[in-house]
Amino acid sequence: MSDLDQPPVGAPVDPSGLGPEVRQPWLERYDVAAKAGGLVAPVLTALLAFAVGGLVVLITTGKNPLATYRAIFEGAGFNWFLPWVQGTERQAAAFNMQQTLIITTTLVLTGLAVAFAFRCGLFNIGGQGQYITGAIFAVWIGSSFEGLNPFIHVVFAAVAGALCGALWAGIAGILKATVGAHEVISTIMLNWIAIWIGVFLFGLGGPLQNDRQEFVPVSNDIVEGAKLPVFWGDPVFQGLHIGFFVAIAGLIIYWLILSRTTLGYGVKAVGFNPEAARYGGINVPRNYFLAMAISGAFAGVAGAMDILGWQFRLGQDTVQQATIAFVGIAVALLGRNTAIGVALAALLFGGLLTGTSTRNLDPEIFRPELASNLTLLIQGLVVLFVGADVIVLWLMSRVRRRKPA
Amino acid sequence: MRNHKLRALLTGSIAIVLVAAVAGTGLAAGGKKAAAGDTCLVTDVGGLNDRSFNQLANKGRLDGGKALGVKTSVLQSSKESDYIPNLLSCVQSGADLTIGVGFLMAEAVNTVATRFPSSKFAIIDYRFQDLAGKPANTRGILFREQEAGYLSGWLAIKTLMSQKKPLVIGAVGGFKIPPVDRYMAGYKAGAQAANPKAKVLLGYAQSFTDQSKCKELSLNHIAEGSQVEFGVAGSCGLGSLSAAKDKGLWGIGVDADQGYLGAHMLTSAVKRVDVGVSRTMKQAKTGTFKGFGNTIFSVRSGGIGLGKVSPKVPKAIIAAEKVLENKIRTGKVKGIPTEVK
Repeated sequence: MSDLDQPPVGAPVDPSGLGPEVRQPWLERYDVAAKAGGLVAPVLTALLAFAVGGLVVLITTGKNPLATYRAIFEGAGFNWFLPWVQGTERQAAAFNMQQTLIITTTLVLTGLAVAFAFRCGLFNIGGQGQYITGAIFAVWIGSSFEGLNPFIHVVFAAVAGALCGALWAGIAGILKATVGAHEVISTIMLNWIAIWIGVFLFGLGGPLQNDRQEFVPVSNDIVEGAKLPVFWGDPVFQGLHIGFFVAIAGLIIYWLILSRTTLGYGVKAVGFNPEAARYGGINVPRNYFLAMAISGAFAGVAGAMDILGWQFRLGQDTVQQATIAFVGIAVALLGRNTAIGVALAALLFGGLLTGTSTRNLDPEIFRPELASNLTLLIQGLVVLFVGADVIVLWLMSRVRRRKPA
Repeated sequence: MRNHKLRALLTGSIAIVLVAAVAGTGLAAGGKKAAAGDTCLVTDVGGLNDRSFNQLANKGRLDGGKALGVKTSVLQSSKESDYIPNLLSCVQSGADLTIGVGFLMAEAVNTVATRFPSSKFAIIDYRFQDLAGKPANTRGILFREQEAGYLSGWLAIKTLMSQKKPLVIGAVGGFKIPPVDRYMAGYKAGAQAANPKAKVLLGYAQSFTDQSKCKELSLNHIAEGSQVEFGVAGSCGLGSLSAAKDKGLWGIGVDADQGYLGAHMLTSAVKRVDVGVSRTMKQAKTGTFKGFGNTIFSVRSGGIGLGKVSPKVPKAIIAAEKVLENKIRTGKVKGIPTEVK
């Protein structure tokens, strides 16, 4: 806040910034702040989550939580940005940063999948299913068509992944648009259908099970030509693939659609108030369908990027155990459904997931059996505080009220 | 402006000096120097608290570390993208031997082992010759599960005969993969060796984690008259055992000795992954470790057998079981099948 924004001393303070005449109840103010997409509240939310997480570390281990956070920071490779980190330390930092960005890529796309539907007033919990269908198609196309031009092959697989994700989410969109079936229920159900289709396809005797080992329930590897080029790090050891730029493109597309197109206008109008939008001549069912389909496309691309970028194959167990798209929900919530917010939240969660791997934590402080719980703990706290960020806003308003005095 | 340039120049030259120093000592490539036998274990996504596979492997690491006086560590994979970084981290932190737990890690072990030919690697439940690169520094750790299955099937039927109950027993597998099928095929063969009239019901839950699926299949078996349920499905198998408990019948545990589950436990078909890990560590420590081969653990070489047998089983049967075990050990029981038809 600059000095110019400060009201004159003694005047009533209005944190909503709407004008001095009314002091709104703080729930409404929260609404305004949320819609304004303010950056302060999410940052405070994350900090609060870290502070409470630190307290938990302090209480349960009796060790200095700052040392732990430092280990997470370095484990996530964020020290790569510090110019004085050199030599082997820098190599390690670069490797960790690559791992962080690989996950960030996926989280950006799955986060956008949730965020886009949110902007239309829909809660897409089906990111996981859309991600899986995208991955299934990517692995199928990637492992077939050997000898195809690599560029065409990659684009083909990625587009197929996107379309498939769009189709999968579109089912929920159509159901919502035509018969009013609630998208929360239908997307959750579609998740399970996707999972069990995957289990069937890659299971023993399944149509996409590999040809090499008849007892292993996993797909064929994708062919060399279908692998995404690695632009940073060692291609053999999971360096950063160019899917990273696809995620950045996704962010730009998201922003473009929502703020520069009629489609985006319609989606947002329906999100604010479907009745008013209908009254204004906007086709609400069509927007429901399109919003879900575009959401699904983001998640489908996420699945395709993981397959083509570093995973190269899909197994029965992976289909059942992956949860990365659910983290996308937390990313969208913390990112306040804005492009820049999603990018930053994805980087935060990507860093957390990488930084809290047991290899990055001191086994003296975190017994290996417990280490990965820390990620879940902080993740849970972030979601909790996002859900209850009225608390944060209340704290903010308290601070602001005190300031001028 | 000048200040900036100066600083850039300074940092640049420091960087060059540092890189040169590091390159000179050769640290960059190999990481810390490994002492023979120093071991690093990497779990699959099942995690260390799975009460069976990973947990047993970790026990083996701790036992081996204590007995051999070597440094050990364990890295837990919480997601699949952890496999390669974890294995790399093991090698770079100076492990002489790096062990991957379970066939899920096969591809990652193959990738890392191929790149670090001077380090030693082992993978549990996977044949080295099935690895794509057939790395010369990697050893497979395998088990003859069929022998444990055989013993438990035999014991189950003998016990039912002594109790004058119908000779029907069941087993529920997780997925139809080789280790599971070896248990189940042995179980069936053992039962029929004890009494040719024995009927063995087999099913697959399509899960290693969902207890309700295993329980449902076992309840079906019990409805068909099964008197003993054998859960061969990781933590899913606990569902089979609880079905047996609910109906007042026998249960047979798998991998670890699950006798602690209660009085309904007849015995457990034990696969000592911990023995597999600690013996491999010993090989690495004493210099007898050879890649490009498999170690197969069996009743004969140890690592396979029965857990605690219920005290309600007649002494004579337990004695006869010991005789049978000896016969398997000395190779007198031949041709225990490894596949379920």
